[in-house]
Amino acid sequence: MGDKIVILEDIQKIYQIGKVSYQVLKGIDLEVEQGEFLVIMGTSGSGKTTLLNIIGLLDKPTSGRYFLEGEEVSKFDSKKLAYIRNRKLGFIFQAFHLVPWATALENVLLPLLYRPEGFSKDDEKRAISLLERLGLGERIHAKPKELSGGQQQRVAIARALITNPKLLLADEPTGNLDSASSKEVMNIFKELNAEGLTIIMVTHDPEIAKNGKRIKVIADGIFVDEKQV
Amino acid sequence: MMLKYKLLWGGLFYKKLRLVLSIIGIIIGVSSLLLMNAFGEAAKIRTLKEIETFGPEVLMVVAGNVRVSAGRAIQTEVTTTLKPEDAEALRKIGGIRFISPYFTGDAIVRFAGNTVSTVLNGVNEEYLRLRKFSLEEGRNFLKDEILSYKKVVILGNKVKAQLFGKENPVGQTILINKLPFKVIGVLSPIGIDASNADQDDQVLIPYTIAISAIYNVDYIRGIFISVEDPSNLPFIEKQIDSILSKRHKVTEKNKDFTIVKAEDILQAKTQTTNLFSSLVKSISVLCLVVGALGVTAIMTLAVNERKKEIGIRKAIGAKERDILLQFLIESVIVTLLGGIMGVVLGVGLTLILLPVFNYPLIFPVIPILTSTGLTIIFGIFAGVYPSYKASKVDPIVLLRSF
Repeated sequence: MGDKIVILEDIQKIYQIGKVSYQVLKGIDLEVEQGEFLVIMGTSGSGKTTLLNIIGLLDKPTSGRYFLEGEEVSKFDSKKLAYIRNRKLGFIFQAFHLVPWATALENVLLPLLYRPEGFSKDDEKRAISLLERLGLGERIHAKPKELSGGQQQRVAIARALITNPKLLLADEPTGNLDSASSKEVMNIFKELNAEGLTIIMVTHDPEIAKNGKRIKVIADGIFVDEKQV
Repeated sequence: MMLKYKLLWGGLFYKKLRLVLSIIGIIIGVSSLLLMNAFGEAAKIRTLKEIETFGPEVLMVVAGNVRVSAGRAIQTEVTTTLKPEDAEALRKIGGIRFISPYFTGDAIVRFAGNTVSTVLNGVNEEYLRLRKFSLEEGRNFLKDEILSYKKVVILGNKVKAQLFGKENPVGQTILINKLPFKVIGVLSPIGIDASNADQDDQVLIPYTIAISAIYNVDYIRGIFISVEDPSNLPFIEKQIDSILSKRHKVTEKNKDFTIVKAEDILQAKTQTTNLFSSLVKSISVLCLVVGALGVTAIMTLAVNERKKEIGIRKAIGAKERDILLQFLIESVIVTLLGGIMGVVLGVGLTLILLPVFNYPLIFPVIPILTSTGLTIIFGIFAGVYPSYKASKVDPIVLLRSF
């Protein structure tokens, strides 16, 4: 498997709502290489979010196999999955999902709370330099509601990066942002990718999708198209 | 390190009104629990004090029938057949230490324009030692004064204060129901005894003069007896019963006297206090349960409101156990905050209210410990359900793309 970070084999997902069952994913095969910037594009209801949930270990496939860095994570229990999420994955959400009562700096440090070693003064310095790098050096003690959408998303990016993840997962990261902020965030993504971070981003917006190196189009639970940018 | 705890429980202080509301419920529960327990303790101490003046070695023969109810010996029927000679006749029983005939009635006492309505007790020179009363000033009756119908009086502490203020009354003459009596002594403050009579609001005079000159009768109301050894009490009680029955020519059915022991009074008294305190305790525990349910309700609300926060924590690596513990400790913190304030309030109220209701002042150590312990237990209970719910929040709630 070498430098393939994600391998999905015939992933299926069926939701049971009452007596009706919906097959959201109908056999997804996917390989993501180390250092890729993959965009999964699709319309509402195409299954792209479910797919990201599964790749992010927030949801389990009904059938199929999922290897993350060579480990078959589709067989792990919830405790082990929490560990993997903490050590290997970083998440960026459309609605930022910062903790409202904590400052920017505290939000960035939050993932380290769930490591047995806790966090040190060095971690704090690292968090501050991450925020500085993302242009928030002046706002490290601001609460989320005191920040603009673009600033909030940059805090969320810093939070995703504090754990030095292997894989960054982004769900419509620009969905709540104006075009200037969107561009900023996309530039950060490209920069990070250039430094070697693997990124998988989900979006419905073709313009945003162009920022990726490879675009896969999903419709009705299967991949229908693929293009290199 | 502080930052770690802030990140875990900072959310607690985010919605302040909600926090205050749930704390108030706990405060009410804890402070009432503490207050009730403290009153129970104080009541116990008061009862013990009362028994000291009506000790286990004392018994009383009362003319007529007596029913012990709610801690009081209530005379339900008065007879005129108990005579001073009966008291003398009992002296031949072995093991008796003191005997005093006893007559009680109301009296108007006057000195230099001050008039007091009080209780007059006719007794003999052994009465003070029998009841373990001590004198603040002056002296006890002499045997001779009893036998020769001397008009001398020992004042209760309150009566002395009302008639004389701070002056020394010994040697002064007062009027009791218009008859002049010479004051020979003043009792030390005693308080309320087991029969609920205020022993500071009385005057003592020789029983001889009380029945002859003041009430003009030839009988007495009762006989106080104290024994050498309280373990002999049942035996002595039997002897008293047989001597008096013989003298009065009565049988078990038409008996005209009753023997009352401290034990009887105490038994009835503890029964009522126990009933009262268990009732009060269950009410205050109920208060605490309601307070804890309030915490449960409000924590559940908080969990629903903070689903996103929980989801985030899970997405970035929190295990179910981490979330469970976080919310469990949050609810313990809430109840503990309420608990501490409740204890402070309860102690304050205890220290204010005990003297108001004439209870001995105590610092409620045991009530503090029990109510704090109960609060922690209830805090954990209150948190179990919402914390479980929190730990089961699915982080999928975070991902929505439209």
